[in-house]
Amino acid sequence: MNGWRTLFPNAWYISAREFRSRARSRSFIIGTVILAVIAFAATQAPVLIDFAMSTSQTRIEVLVSASGLPSDSQALLAGKLNGQASSASQPAFVLSWLGSGDLKSAQQALEQGKFDALLIVDRDPASQNLAFTLQTDLTSDGQVVGTINQAADWLALDDGLARAGTSIGAVQATPFAVVPVNPSAGPAKNVSQEVSTSLLSTGLIVLIFMAIVTYGMWVAMSVAEEKGSRVMELMLNATTPLQMLAGKVIGNGAAGLTQYGIVLAAVVGGLLAQGPIHQMVLGSGSGAPFGGLDPVVLAAFAVLFVLGFLFYSLLYAALGSLVSRQEDVQSATSPLMMLIFVGYFMSIFGLQAIDATWVKVASFVPFFSPYLMLARVSAGHVALWEFALAVAFLLAGIAVALVAAARIYSAGVLLYGQRVGLRQVLKAARVSR
Amino acid sequence: MSLVIDSVYKRFGDVQALDDVSLEIKPGEVFGFLGANGAGKTTAMRIVLDILRPDSGTISWNGRLNTEVPRDTWGYLPEERGLYAKMKVLEQLVFFAKLHGVAPRKAEQDTRDWLERFRIPEYADKRAEELSKGNQQKIQFIAAILHDPQVLLMDEPFTGLDPVNAALLKEAFQEMKERGKTLLFSTHQMDTVEELCESIAILDRGRVVVGGTVRDVRRSTGRQVVRLAVEGDSDIDWLGTLNGVSVTRRGQDYTEAEVARSQDPATVLQAALARGCTIRQFEIADPSLEQIFIEHVGQIDTSERTLAPRGTYP
Repeated sequence: MNGWRTLFPNAWYISAREFRSRARSRSFIIGTVILAVIAFAATQAPVLIDFAMSTSQTRIEVLVSASGLPSDSQALLAGKLNGQASSASQPAFVLSWLGSGDLKSAQQALEQGKFDALLIVDRDPASQNLAFTLQTDLTSDGQVVGTINQAADWLALDDGLARAGTSIGAVQATPFAVVPVNPSAGPAKNVSQEVSTSLLSTGLIVLIFMAIVTYGMWVAMSVAEEKGSRVMELMLNATTPLQMLAGKVIGNGAAGLTQYGIVLAAVVGGLLAQGPIHQMVLGSGSGAPFGGLDPVVLAAFAVLFVLGFLFYSLLYAALGSLVSRQEDVQSATSPLMMLIFVGYFMSIFGLQAIDATWVKVASFVPFFSPYLMLARVSAGHVALWEFALAVAFLLAGIAVALVAAARIYSAGVLLYGQRVGLRQVLKAARVSR
Repeated sequence: MSLVIDSVYKRFGDVQALDDVSLEIKPGEVFGFLGANGAGKTTAMRIVLDILRPDSGTISWNGRLNTEVPRDTWGYLPEERGLYAKMKVLEQLVFFAKLHGVAPRKAEQDTRDWLERFRIPEYADKRAEELSKGNQQKIQFIAAILHDPQVLLMDEPFTGLDPVNAALLKEAFQEMKERGKTLLFSTHQMDTVEELCESIAILDRGRVVVGGTVRDVRRSTGRQVVRLAVEGDSDIDWLGTLNGVSVTRRGQDYTEAEVARSQDPATVLQAALARGCTIRQFEIADPSLEQIFIEHVGQIDTSERTLAPRGTYP
């Protein structure tokens, strides 16, 4: 192990070569473009949803044959139909208040398709309460008819109150107060924040998982490729296994980060473009896309992302050195893949039980900490020393993996032919430099 | 002051790849490694390069152990040819040179010079996979020498080269020798060895069966060979009837016969003159390396040299 002192500049040259050959490859370019396009498209989903909503507008004409309706009835009906969003540019319902107009011409307009429904407001002769008739082809138990029904109920209520000498405004409740159960936990989060935080931490875990699986595999592939093309012997004469190992991990990691950076740029660009695009398509802006992005979580993500990748890609390199052909890489690395999947699922389930003991324990184990510690940090239930300890364990794990991988690697790269068993490698690792 | 391989043993599982191999290769010498497939040539080279470690024994260059000499001492052309298929020729040659500590500008200039000499300057910006096998081999040779190593180890450098390219490579060998480099290469091609090498070693199943200067090796067998050609009459059957003489090769150009150690080869000449033959050629020769090789190792394995079925080679 006298390669430590002379790690650079050769490791640097090798990583530069790895990076260049990876970044120039067709699969890298196509993959990056596809990912970036998908990411950009995903950020435009809200615009798409709004757009789809806007086309499903219901037009209602209202004919009032009842007398003595309160003067605010039209405003009340419109307000209840369109709910809180009544100020939006694209209300779900458009009202045409005919007053005591002509039933015949109203029905004609309905039949011509100028309106989706005709609401006739009448008064029950016995009870004097309002009675409604809706003429429409809309589904009778659908959401739209349900909304109209509720709004009509409000109208009837208002009318009844008016006849009793009061009004809705006069009997409405004072503001509805929300008080947290545990005041020390800080202000209660609202639902959309809660959802976006949980989505975000799941997203970050998926990002780390994908990076390790994809870019770790690149490392294993590039080792096997070198063995397959027999460049290995030339490299072994020019460099040390440790230099090669470091170069490959750094080079492929940098290529992976580049791809991630481009996709991330597409996401940020997409989010920034959301407003203008919304404006263009729908004639109005839309708000606040960055909700839930906590700088602490992002910092933890960056640390765990880099360290997790280093740890796993070293193991990938070691396993990649055991096969002679790229076709065998998949099977050689499958045990590692299993381990990564275990960690991934643990963290996905762990998000539901973030304070469980097994989650806490596993979040310190180097194989799992990249996901589980991230899950805990994003849930906000972790002390700084806990995070520091997990990182320290991970760093120790990297050191062990580096030494072990360098040994396996330097033994494995020269064992050509059939797949190499673990015993053979251990034996070879003992005598190799 | 030389490359010394001292009592090296190496075992792979059941196979004794190297069995007490000791050799000395003098600086500035061209040294040929002969042996059938699997004789241990590649293993020996890898051990010299410290890519593999021997089970026991040592290798030293000018008195320093090979584990301690700088890596740029060695230039290596491996038997398993390997280049980065998708990488451009110039780019990867500069890359390999940089790994050995050569400045990029110098590496690029030297690469262009060598491509020129090998008559393939237009391949500098081609990807390696676009080149023919012979041309890839020339690239591989350039990769081995760009960092100006003192010792060149080449595993089967002439395999797969056409006569023109083989001649170019032999010229390059000559130049390396003139620059004072030590060259060690393995081959199946006896004529190449006879043309280039000052010393050889023949390996068989991990053991050095014979080694030394080409002249010493030739004489080591104690066999004497005469070549005789006479005017007009190609029928010289009488040759075989002479005491202690046996015909080993009958050809249109000359007839070759082996003369027993106890006999003076000159008796063949006297016999021919006594028969009134007009002598066109008479030569007392050493046995060819091919004969020596066969004598020590048995049938030459021709599988890598020719497409002819095994055993039909004369």
